[in-house]
Amino acid sequence: MSDISSEPILILVLLVIVGIFAIFFPLAFLYSMLFAWIHQGRHKKRLLAREQRVASIVGGDNIHTLSRPINLEKISQCGLVMTNITVAPSWWQLFVGGIKSIFGGQIQSYDNVLAYGRAEVMQRLREQALGEGWSEVINVRVETSMVLNKVRGGNQNKLGTLEFVAYGTGIR
Amino acid sequence: MEIMTSNTETIPGFKITKSLGVTTGSTVRAKHIGKDILAGLKNIVGGELKAYTELLMEARTEALGRMMMDAAQRGANAVVNVRFATSSVAGGAAELFAYGTAVVVEQE
Repeated sequence: MSDISSEPILILVLLVIVGIFAIFFPLAFLYSMLFAWIHQGRHKKRLLAREQRVASIVGGDNIHTLSRPINLEKISQCGLVMTNITVAPSWWQLFVGGIKSIFGGQIQSYDNVLAYGRAEVMQRLREQALGEGWSEVINVRVETSMVLNKVRGGNQNKLGTLEFVAYGTGIR
Repeated sequence: MEIMTSNTETIPGFKITKSLGVTTGSTVRAKHIGKDILAGLKNIVGGELKAYTELLMEARTEALGRMMMDAAQRGANAVVNVRFATSSVAGGAAELFAYGTAVVVEQE
């Protein structure tokens, strides 16, 4: 008896779940296709403005990759300065990149995201150095790490998330 | 006493008088499943995933803090040549590892 009464509810629940997925994924994909470039463009524009602001305060660049100071003569203190960012391409960029990777060659959709991530992490290092009062950051290194990008239970980097770390020695 | 850290081999303007060996600090973190889902939604438009950025920064700061505590216990006043290493452990967890050489420095 109970089997007959519970069956329609089970079917209904199943239909709702399937319906949510059938509606959500195409909509999200469409949104990604139409609006992702606006979101990313806004971040890029903001980054450019911040870069110009810091350059005008410092009068050049306050980070470099040499292991000795350039401008500073006497050093009283030093400390590690470290920033990071995690970036991922949008669903649309992943889709386009996936198709392009069949033919090989330059994959511009990933290119843009990674270039933004690197530029942003360097800018954050400049800002943090300025905020903490270091007059120069020497020996700057940028690293790429792939932790936390594995989808639960799998071993494939399905979402394409990447972490950039920039660190150096701040001196004053 | 504040411990100076640097990723250069020597601290410019200072002289290393004593080396106290390798000092390490590490932490293992996993992402929260709710944040995981939110980050997945943010993934639709791409760009920065703030939840992951913060999580990894927190973990790295903690690893660095443990390394400095270890150095302080040995009686060092600086850690030179600091490096970071990351590795992913099973189940979406990540290990963040910081290491360097504990030294005693003197101003020249």
